[in-house]
Amino acid sequence: MTVAAATDLQSITANKIVDARGSACPGPLLEAKKGIGAVSISQILEIWSSDPATKTDIAAWSAKVGQSFLGVLPADGYDRVFVRRQK
Amino acid sequence: MAEKLVIMVTHGPDDPELATIPFVMAVAALASEVEAVLGFQADGVRLVARGVAEQVAAPSFPPLAKLLADFRELGGSILVCSPCLQSRGITAPDDLVDGAVVVAAARFVAEITSATNSLVY
Repeated sequence: MTVAAATDLQSITANKIVDARGSACPGPLLEAKKGIGAVSISQILEIWSSDPATKTDIAAWSAKVGQSFLGVLPADGYDRVFVRRQK
Repeated sequence: MAEKLVIMVTHGPDDPELATIPFVMAVAALASEVEAVLGFQADGVRLVARGVAEQVAAPSFPPLAKLLADFRELGGSILVCSPCLQSRGITAPDDLVDGAVVVAAARFVAEITSATNSLVY
């Protein structure tokens, strides 16, 4: 898994953002699953989550289902998680 | 979905956390492209009696009714132990949530032995 540097992530404009803040596990994962289907292959999905476990959960999920986990940017009280659709 | 996870649920609404975690795992499995079967035995069968899930919520987890709805929407299977239902007086066809299938031991054995892995809660 190649994770982008924070500076690279900051330059990304996601093709779709899903706001899963306030959602408990497995809510952010479900939002990621739904969201990835809403972008085209090679496009980027950004998931916002206030659950600190989401960043590792989405990384594991991406590896499991063949998507590309790009990394995480901390924001004000939540994480911005980036995934590129691979298939 | 080439992989299959069977999760046996034996705790009912009196233990909200152990009632909820199997659903969390099952929904995560389905979201991860893994087929998921929830098998209910002992007091776990009460969770799929109509109207019960709406009364179960464990701290820091989504309400059970939400997880049940997600599980069904994602195509998960619900199998329920027949004698466990009878011993609790849950016998009418409409007593269970939509999609629940009443089975006996051999079906559980078949599901578990054909699965990639199984969990018991």
